[in-house]
Amino acid sequence: MKNAFRSLVLILSLVVMVSPAFSQTPVKGGILTVCQPAEPPGLDPTANTSAAIDRVVYANIYEGLVKVDSTGGFLPGLANGWSVSTYGLVYTFNLRKGVVFHNGEAFDASVAKWNLERAAMPENGNPHPEYFNGIDTIETPDSHTLVIRLKAVDALFIAHMAEGDAVMLPMKGVEDVKSNPVGTGPFRFEKWVRGDRVEMVRFDGYWNPFLPYLDRVTFRFISDPAAQIAALKAGDIDVIGYIAAPESAMMLEKDKRFKVYSGTTTGEVIMSTNNKAAPFDNRLVRQAMAHAIDRQAVIELVMFGYGTPIGSHWSPSTPYYKDLTGRFPYDPDKAKVLLKKAGYPDGFKATIKLPAIYSYSRRAGEVIADMLGKVGIDLTIEIVEWGQWIDRIFKKKEFQLTMIGHVEAWDIGIYARPNYYFQYDSQAFRDAYARALEAPDEAEKAKWFGRCQRIIAEDAVNGFLFSAPSLPVMIR
Amino acid sequence: MTGYLIKKAAALAAVLFLVSLTVFSVLFVLPGDPAQIILGINASPETLAALRSRLGLDQPFLVQYGQWIGSLLQGTGGRSITYDMPVADLIGSRLAVTGPLAIMAMAIAVVLALPLGIFAARHQNRPGDAAVMAGTQLGLAIPEFWLGILLMLLFSVHWGFFSAGGFPGWDEDLWGSLKALFLPALALGLIRAAILTRLTRSSMLDVLREDYVRTARAKGLKERTVVYGHALKNALIPVLTIFGLQMGQLLAGAIIIENVFTLPGLGRLVFQAIGQRDLPVVREVVLFMAAAVVIVNFLVDLSYAVVDPRIRLDG
Repeated sequence: MKNAFRSLVLILSLVVMVSPAFSQTPVKGGILTVCQPAEPPGLDPTANTSAAIDRVVYANIYEGLVKVDSTGGFLPGLANGWSVSTYGLVYTFNLRKGVVFHNGEAFDASVAKWNLERAAMPENGNPHPEYFNGIDTIETPDSHTLVIRLKAVDALFIAHMAEGDAVMLPMKGVEDVKSNPVGTGPFRFEKWVRGDRVEMVRFDGYWNPFLPYLDRVTFRFISDPAAQIAALKAGDIDVIGYIAAPESAMMLEKDKRFKVYSGTTTGEVIMSTNNKAAPFDNRLVRQAMAHAIDRQAVIELVMFGYGTPIGSHWSPSTPYYKDLTGRFPYDPDKAKVLLKKAGYPDGFKATIKLPAIYSYSRRAGEVIADMLGKVGIDLTIEIVEWGQWIDRIFKKKEFQLTMIGHVEAWDIGIYARPNYYFQYDSQAFRDAYARALEAPDEAEKAKWFGRCQRIIAEDAVNGFLFSAPSLPVMIR
Repeated sequence: MTGYLIKKAAALAAVLFLVSLTVFSVLFVLPGDPAQIILGINASPETLAALRSRLGLDQPFLVQYGQWIGSLLQGTGGRSITYDMPVADLIGSRLAVTGPLAIMAMAIAVVLALPLGIFAARHQNRPGDAAVMAGTQLGLAIPEFWLGILLMLLFSVHWGFFSAGGFPGWDEDLWGSLKALFLPALALGLIRAAILTRLTRSSMLDVLREDYVRTARAKGLKERTVVYGHALKNALIPVLTIFGLQMGQLLAGAIIIENVFTLPGLGRLVFQAIGQRDLPVVREVVLFMAAAVVIVNFLVDLSYAVVDPRIRLDG
């Protein structure tokens, strides 16, 4: 979630970033310098959920069996393709031949098996062992076939195989991949100058002989938005990867030297609501708030117009998306009626706690406090440090409202956990989610994931605001 | 002299002990589970528990503190969680940026401040003095980060003389690294020059009123000899004190300027480490900074004796 914009986001931004450069005549060679706001905490995506890691290494240095495309669909990665048995329990992956790691080690079925088994054990430090411990057995009938039998049908199995948590690591040198990453990707790690940059060079032994085009890619870590722009204008960097500040994007869009792309991400910015704290345990109150929020105005004021309104916990760039923004249109009068019905004709006072590290969260909090004030809900704003947020809000649930971006793809399952920080407890949702996970085919998946989205929208569990934009900027 | 050194070393040890205890306690009670911050909030409880036990976070306070002090005394120290390398090496590589930056900044400050301060003192209440004083007023009023951004916009973005932040590394590009430090050093140096200029001026004015200066003048010495040979040395004592404090501060990291210019220095290291709860780094960098301040002040004490032989360093 939050500081973890996962693989999907990364792929989306890469697709957006790279395609224009190559859409005319592909030119071989060249050096690209990409700025990214946050320095990754280590370079092993299987050891940490931080999106900063994936944005640097995913699909560049490391690859998994499966990749994600810009529409959220799944593409072959290190697996040429895969088939699923009739009841969805057995996945057979055909692995690519001739794939080698940057250290010369060959990638085959036994390496893949070892990786998946390693990831399932929490002591190896994978933050999501649950992605892998649904695997019952792994067989390797030959060196390039991997037969995975699951304990139960898991509709998200392929999605999880495309995550950074599931990239393939080499068996030799795996203990050092955090600082000396070795993968099968098109670029080979060269060095990490801590506090400044990561450099990678073309891997000549890449399994796709036509790729990569570039000779060298450098990721530079510049957190200050003003310094990012200065570096871009001074020609020190070619691309600002995922732009931190939408106000910078707006300014750079007017500059003829640069091109700003506005892509989508898998992130949902929501006003998280404690469903067990009065008066928010009353569904009418939550629905009233949903009517009182003008999402488009929030996007204009908080994100300078970049972003897509959402009506549930599902990004438009993820398959099976249902547009539910029409369920609670902006209608302050209706909000007042609902508040009256809920027993609060004069409104009430509440507190919203905003994490200091996210500027979008602070800004959105202020805008929403104003909107809710118009229907009689008087919000007090409290800014909290990130460690405090994790401790008081996420763990101890000492809050009424907060504001945060949930960035992991396919994360609607958090609503099936009654002890999750917003404490939503609905048997109807849990049943629908279980059905979705067991769905054997696309139509059933669409039906049940759609129902999941609808249930939480109807219950107005959280204030669903907008899907965060990806705003890369590059030299024309 | 030996007694003096022993006394200073004991004081350093005491300071380090207190700092180590303070920083450890503060980080211990800091809200936010480090394992959760490191792994992200959707991490599975099993992995969290495994990481907590690997980091020793499940041990009682005294055990954790004892283990840390033990590792420091053995000379190994901790290992950075996010950077996956020994903290000592990390401090070394960051000091290779922060050290030269501090020295360059203070060199710029001194080179500007001494002549300007002396000039202003000698031209007290005349237009030259007023101009210098107005300049220093400006220097004191301008925030560091703003001056940094201004210099960057002018020299990097507009004229393209320097790169806009970043640091290539000494072994890779010596000239480029020097250039990378110039603008941030200038931003830090100009502001410190303003303080030192005012101090030099007022200290110089005090000394120029002393009897021995009148005697020197009465002897018929040239004004140059009076100012530089007799007055300056004595005027330098308060300037040295402030110089030492500023040097210590700069070695402890110029966080804001390092952020503006994206320099991999100590200040940014500790700032980032606090946010990521990379506790081994925070602890040892804070300890190092405390030691740096104490040692710089010790060197300043020594230099008093060089400047003014009347000051004797004894136990």
